[in-house]
Amino acid sequence: MTEVSSKGGALSWLRERFPASFTAARTWLRRFGILPQILSLAIIVGVFAIGTKGKYLSWANIQTILSLAAIPAIYAIGLHQTIVLGGIDLSVQGVASLCAVFVGILLKNQYNSYNVGLWIIPISLAIGGAAGVISGLLNTGLRIPSFMATLGMSWILYGMAVLIGKAVNVQILDTRIENFVSATLFGIPQIAILAVLIAVIVQMVQDRTRFGRYMYAIGGDEVIAKQAGVKVKGIKIAVFTMAGAIYGLASLLLACRLGWATSRMGAGLLFPTITAVTVGGVALTGGIGGAKNAVLGALIVTALNDGLVLMQVSPYIQQAVNGVVLIVAVALTLDRKKLGFIK
Amino acid sequence: MADIEQADTAESQDVRKRLIRPGRISPVYFTIALLVVVGLLFYLGNRNFLSLYNLNTIISFSAILLMVALGQMCAILVGGIDLSVGGLVSFISVVFILLIEPLGYLAYPACLLIGVIIGYINGNVLTRIKIPSFIATLATGGILTSLAYVASSGAGAPRPVNLPPAKYYVVDTIVNGRLLTVSKVLYIGFAVLLIYYVILRFTSTGRNIFYVGSNIKMSWMSGISITKTRNIAFMLSGAGAAITGLLISSVRYGGDPMVGNAYILNSIAAVVVGGTALTGGAGGVINTLFGAIFMSMLDNGMNVVGINQYFQQSILGAMVIVCVTLTFDRTKTPIVK
Amino acid sequence: MSDTSYGANQDTVVAVRQITKVFPGVVALDRVDLAVHKNEVVGLVGENGAGKSVLMKIMIGLEQPDEGTIVLRGEETTLRDPSDAIKNGIGMVFQDGSLLPNLSVKENLFLCHEADFRKVGILSLRAMRDAARELLKRVKLDIDVDLPVTEISPAERQMVEIARLLWLSQQYGKENPLLILDEPTTVLADAERNRLFSILQDIKKQASVILISHRLQEILENSDRIVVLKDGKNVTEIPASKAKLSRIEQLMVGHTFSADRFKEDEQATPGKVEILSVKNLSKAGLFEPLSFTVRQGEIVGLVGLVGSGKEAVCNCIAGLDKADTGDVFLGERKLPSGSPSAAVKAGIGHIPIDRRSEGLALMMSVAENVNLLVLDRLKTAGFLSPAREKKNAQYWISECQIKTPSIGTLCANLSGGNQQKTVISKWLSSRVRLLILDHPTRGVDVGAKDEIYKLIRRLAKEGIGMLIMCDTLEEDIGLANRMLVMKDGRLVKEIESSSQKKPSPQDIIGLIV
Repeated sequence: MTEVSSKGGALSWLRERFPASFTAARTWLRRFGILPQILSLAIIVGVFAIGTKGKYLSWANIQTILSLAAIPAIYAIGLHQTIVLGGIDLSVQGVASLCAVFVGILLKNQYNSYNVGLWIIPISLAIGGAAGVISGLLNTGLRIPSFMATLGMSWILYGMAVLIGKAVNVQILDTRIENFVSATLFGIPQIAILAVLIAVIVQMVQDRTRFGRYMYAIGGDEVIAKQAGVKVKGIKIAVFTMAGAIYGLASLLLACRLGWATSRMGAGLLFPTITAVTVGGVALTGGIGGAKNAVLGALIVTALNDGLVLMQVSPYIQQAVNGVVLIVAVALTLDRKKLGFIK
Repeated sequence: MADIEQADTAESQDVRKRLIRPGRISPVYFTIALLVVVGLLFYLGNRNFLSLYNLNTIISFSAILLMVALGQMCAILVGGIDLSVGGLVSFISVVFILLIEPLGYLAYPACLLIGVIIGYINGNVLTRIKIPSFIATLATGGILTSLAYVASSGAGAPRPVNLPPAKYYVVDTIVNGRLLTVSKVLYIGFAVLLIYYVILRFTSTGRNIFYVGSNIKMSWMSGISITKTRNIAFMLSGAGAAITGLLISSVRYGGDPMVGNAYILNSIAAVVVGGTALTGGAGGVINTLFGAIFMSMLDNGMNVVGINQYFQQSILGAMVIVCVTLTFDRTKTPIVK
Repeated sequence: MSDTSYGANQDTVVAVRQITKVFPGVVALDRVDLAVHKNEVVGLVGENGAGKSVLMKIMIGLEQPDEGTIVLRGEETTLRDPSDAIKNGIGMVFQDGSLLPNLSVKENLFLCHEADFRKVGILSLRAMRDAARELLKRVKLDIDVDLPVTEISPAERQMVEIARLLWLSQQYGKENPLLILDEPTTVLADAERNRLFSILQDIKKQASVILISHRLQEILENSDRIVVLKDGKNVTEIPASKAKLSRIEQLMVGHTFSADRFKEDEQATPGKVEILSVKNLSKAGLFEPLSFTVRQGEIVGLVGLVGSGKEAVCNCIAGLDKADTGDVFLGERKLPSGSPSAAVKAGIGHIPIDRRSEGLALMMSVAENVNLLVLDRLKTAGFLSPAREKKNAQYWISECQIKTPSIGTLCANLSGGNQQKTVISKWLSSRVRLLILDHPTRGVDVGAKDEIYKLIRRLAKEGIGMLIMCDTLEEDIGLANRMLVMKDGRLVKEIESSSQKKPSPQDIIGLIV
């Protein structure tokens, strides 16, 4: 069988010149999981600390960063699992919008008499989870590639959200969750603690349960995993469902933090979430990276953007920076051997 | 595994029988049938649907959509996808208005060139940095959207950019108005359609797009330049999106940095519903033409009949999924990721 | 002549009886018997295409036999899929390996059977680690079981797979599992090879083994019994102690043919001019520096078994792979390494082994595939001319006798033989000077094979040089003017094969095993 070797490009030139160091770097990247991320974080902190003359390192700013990073981190924890499987989930925006709309309807508000209180938590999980189940079924049952299935779902859900929510901004009058979100425990924003907690649980599942190991098996080589007896279809559906449920939770928290539920809440969520996941070290080719990577990635991206804001860079330039960061992160973490020719 | 017998297994014979139906032409008949059926449904919902005025609206809108859809089709034919068209349409829409001031008529070719260059960048990110097209174009689309915002209002919130009335004559001469009772937009649309048709059907690079999309390994082994072919495909995509941006701004006498968002879905839907397979290598200009007309008709019809505008997006999403399922070439990928 | 005992006895673990498997146009297995007894190593030998891999696929449940039965421990069984086979204690270690690259050794060992290590739903890593180390002792392997498998050597990976199979059979309560090792030594270095075979003796005490290898010496030294297959049929079975290398070689290839099957009398005399000149070409790990030439109208056959490196040589010539040293000259021109487009432009054609995934655009028409390389010649005023395309396509369809309802038919709808002819005509249309044919008649029915042979003869007469690799030694000998024999990455010998004086397969087999 002909071995398709990488052709062209600066990276390949480097790879050919320093093959030993490249393999070493790659093994290093794999083995020491999060070390490069920690290093990047250190560099970012360093650069902005100097650039803002120390303001960056103030306790207030650190709290801000932690608090701002928490919800994207939770979204990232949801999304990265689908990437570990070897697929991807582009439905975040649709799910978020739909959940936001339901939050607006069901929590105490000025338009109707619903007041489900804390029941909104399992409800959000259920809505997100239901969306995930459908995405998973489209992928495994109808064999639609995950990027297309979830992209389509995003459109469908977004449309439904706007249909039901009718572009009205609903003020959320039940502030219990909002209070939880803004409170701090020993100075650390509670929502950040929650994010870390979720990450720990998910990471445990990934490392120490059969379900988690099968996820990685599928991401490593789906054909071999199937032959070994892994129930690929079931696990895929389960992972998409979990991802959807986590989006549901994150969307609930986001809506409550904003204080307003609108059907457009989902807009623009996909980009930062994918950036966070890839920056954290989760390879698009699958099988590599866990919840800790997702959280770290979200932290890095937030730290970066916070620094840019403090240094008064235009928010729209920020998005451009994020775009470049995304491309670089993907390029570095991709497992070229798995790809052959890229589509 | 050691020597694999590559005989005509029963399985491959079965595949042959199944493949006889989705040839390259039949999807068009399917789309036309769909057009007729849905058109009739809308007519029953509201007599005005088939009025001359309404038909005119439909055709004009489909011409504008067709431009970006043709470009998207090229990206899909070569085996990828272009999610940056939304950002590009928005960006061009704003930049065009800004460039009319200094450049006048030359703003048209300038923006076209920008679109082509961005397509070239997309192609290169794909082939040289080797990132899958849906991520690469997602990223560049995001960058373009943010650039569109910046161009429209600097650091403030994005807002439409209006064409100063003094410059109306530029767009009026080229795009607005009619020539021999037919709207100029249609002429432009038809001309672009013809150009894409000729490129895809009658040039080697166009044909190579089909080969690469159909079987990339074989194309490489036969000496076709994958890099060049992909770059051209994405350049064509950039050009199509740019033309759409130009037309929109011309028709509206102003640019809007948010106008492109809908076109990601609409262009993909037009291509896929028209019968081009997401897997690449099969499809054509005529397919996309009918796809665009259908999309336009659907959009218009749902408004005329009174379906909620936002629900339309859901319907489109569902349709895209259905059409992708029908046209997906399963022989290409043993595992679906 | 042959001392056969296909029959089972009370010691038989697995036996297959009268297995027949037919693919369209090809009889892969014809009433084959094979019995494996307890605690023995059976060496399975045969040429490429003898049916070894199909037989093994049937034994592990990847394929179903058309006729015949599988008898496991005395009972007739059907193996519907590989997991059925595993549950019955039959497992295979493939050449490419089937471990999950991103998982650790211990995780791979116990994949899908971790129930024992669970405590309240959570896996105990320590328990797995200990169990893994214990398990690996059975194959005398002592490594860090937490390492991802990409970081252990190929030999170690093989051991891990063997250990897993042993363990799985134990889980299913099958005491005498059958392990099939498919060309295990191809990826191993010498030291590792010896280690494998020393372990084989230990494994024998725990299981029965079918050993497949093209290296007859290895088979002789490590098997208890040797089974020879040829053309899908049993040839013989000999206890290893009584076997002689030369005898086995004979049995592998001895065969009478209708003369002229390969149209030897149409064999052309090659011209004087050299078309291809390969000098000192090498690629680390695949083949060592070699040089040879191909003349105008000459058919040169590259002969060798698994691991000989012949496919890699062809890939380097065709530009699909970059060689480490050496040059390739086509005529006077030196070709840049690693560029298929340069090779194609110079006039090298490559008919790949897998026409579906490498040879054709299946969803495009016959005409479009045939014309792929010559689009520039079919233009008028800079644009492709449908009339010229049609003419070119029709010409080649009739020249190569491609049976198709029309020139617009999708290639996916053609039979294998016609697909192959389409691939050939694509290259012919572009006026190649050197054509590399990689197993040109694989998976093609007898009638089409005949037509392809005729085509090949014609091409030689027209002066096209050819480098050919065939499915069987007979085919190589029959078609070639000259043969280059390769073994383990080295060019060992050049043999003339003129139409008057064809070597016999027996002469060659000794060189390649």
